[in-house]
Amino acid sequence: MRDVAIVGAGMVPFGKYQEKTLADIAWPAVKQAVEDAGIKKTDIEATYCGTALGGMMAGQRILKKLGITGLPIINIENACSSSSTAFREAWITVAAGVYDAVLVIGVEKLTKFGGGTLPLEKEDWEVSHGLVMPALYAMRARRYMHEYGLTENDIADVSVKARKHGVWNEDAQFRKEVTREEVLASRPVADPLKLFHCCPSGDGAAAVVICSAEKAKQYSASPIRVIGSEINSGKYMTGYRDMTSPEITLRGAKELYEEAGIGPEDVDLAEVHDAFAIAELLYYEALGFCAKGDAAKLLADGETSVGGKIPVNPSGGLLSKGHPIGSTGVAQIVEIVRQLRGQCGQRQVEGAKVGLTHCTGGGVSGFDHGVCSIHLFAR
Amino acid sequence: MSQELQEALNLAGDAVTTDSDGTVRLVGSECGDCNKNVFPPTAVCPECMSENLAPIKLSAEGKLYSWSVVHAAPKGWNLPFIAAYVDLPEEVRVFAHIVDVDPDSLEMEMPVVARIAALGTEESGAPFESYAFTPVQKGNS
Ligand SMILES: [Zn+2]
Repeated sequence: MRDVAIVGAGMVPFGKYQEKTLADIAWPAVKQAVEDAGIKKTDIEATYCGTALGGMMAGQRILKKLGITGLPIINIENACSSSSTAFREAWITVAAGVYDAVLVIGVEKLTKFGGGTLPLEKEDWEVSHGLVMPALYAMRARRYMHEYGLTENDIADVSVKARKHGVWNEDAQFRKEVTREEVLASRPVADPLKLFHCCPSGDGAAAVVICSAEKAKQYSASPIRVIGSEINSGKYMTGYRDMTSPEITLRGAKELYEEAGIGPEDVDLAEVHDAFAIAELLYYEALGFCAKGDAAKLLADGETSVGGKIPVNPSGGLLSKGHPIGSTGVAQIVEIVRQLRGQCGQRQVEGAKVGLTHCTGGGVSGFDHGVCSIHLFAR
Repeated sequence: MSQELQEALNLAGDAVTTDSDGTVRLVGSECGDCNKNVFPPTAVCPECMSENLAPIKLSAEGKLYSWSVVHAAPKGWNLPFIAAYVDLPEEVRVFAHIVDVDPDSLEMEMPVVARIAALGTEESGAPFESYAFTPVQKGNS
C-alpha cells in the first residue's frame, strides 16, 4: 500500500438551504477543494460521493455543475458515516495504486424533510415501535448516569463547550455561547436530553482531494498524510449489551491505533461524532483519551477544550456545526486538515501534529451502531 | 392484533400471544441447533445460520435496563411516551414502551410485565395497539 495525503479541502457553512438544490449546495465546496489543491480537474481520476438521503446519482448531479464528468463517480450510502466511508473507499484506491488523485464529497440536504427527528428505516422493528435516535442516546445517558454517577450538569457542559468552540468557526450553524442553565432549560426531547443536547439538523457539503503522497508534493506545500483508516460495522447482539460502552468505536479505535503504530496519547486533537452531548463523553473513553468513568472529569478539567491536553471538536462539533448527515465525515476531515495546517484562527490547536476523526452512524436494532469509521492524519 | 396491524409493526403475526389466563407474552425464535433466542421471530439463526428454528414463548416479566421519556417523535405516537429496553430472562432484550406509570417512579432493574396497550393513533384514526410493559405491582407478582 502507498502513502496517501490530502492536498485540498473545502466546505460550505452548514445551515438551512431549503431554496437550493443538493447540487447547488455542494458545488462550491467541491470547487474550493479543487482550487485549494491546485489540481487540474482533468487530473482527478475518480470521485467518491457520500450521501445518506440525497437520492440517486448525487455525485453526478453535483459534478456536472463543474464539468468534472466522464470519470468514475461512485455514490455511497452508509447513514451518518456515508462520506467517511466514501473517504475510506477513495483512500483504498489511491493506496492500492489504482488512482493517483481522487475527489471525495460529502453532501446532505435535510431541510427537504421539514425538520423533526431523522427519518429512519421503518422496516426496523424498533423504529416501527417508535424508537428515535434521541431516545437511543437518552437511554445510553441514563444508564451511564446510573452506573458512573454522571449528572445532568456534566452532560450539559458538553454542549456548553461545543458552543464555545462554535463561536470561532464561521462554518458552524450555531455561533453563540450557551450557559449550562440555558441548556438545562431548553425544551425536553428525550429525557434526560434537551434540545441543546442535540445537534441541529440542516444542509451542507464538504470535499477533499487526496492523492498519493509522492504526487502530493507537486500540489501542496503542506500535504496532510493519512496515517490510519478504519471502518467497521457493529456487532449484532440480540441479547444484553452494555450501552455505556460503544463497542464499535472501542474495537475500531484499537485496530486503528495498532495499524498506525501510535496510541491515544499521541493524538493532538479529535473531531468526534457528538450527535448528542452524551455521545462525546462515551467516545472520550472509547477512543482512549481517558479511563472508563472519567469522561466528565476530563471535560470539567478543560482538557478537551481548545488549550487543553486533547481538544475534542474544536470546530464546535456536530452540536454547533450541525449534522447534515452525509456531509459530516468529510467535514470533520476538512477541520483536521485546516487544524494541522494551522489555519484555524482563534480555535487553532497550537502545534497540532496528529488529528483523529470519528464518525458513526445508523440506528439499527441490535447494533450499538450500524457503522463506524475512524481516521488518523498527520502533518 | 389484526394481521394488518402486525404488518404495520413489522413483526411476524405471531410475535405476541395471550395465554388463557390473560398473560401477555412475546414470542421469539429459538434455534434448534445452537439454542440462541431471538426476538422478533426470524427464519434464520443469526448465530449459526440454521433454519431449524421454533417459536419460543418468552417470559412475561423482565427487568428495566434503561428508559427515556420521549417528547419528540414522528406523527401518530401518543406523546410523551416512555421508551425503554427490557431484559427478558431468556437473554433477549426488547425495545418497548412503558405504560401506566409515573416516569419519576421508574428505577433501574425494576421488574416489569408485558401487556397490550394503545401506543398511538393510526392514520385511519383507530388506536394503534401493541405490546408494552408496565411495572410489576408490588405484592402481586
Ligand atoms: Zn443457531
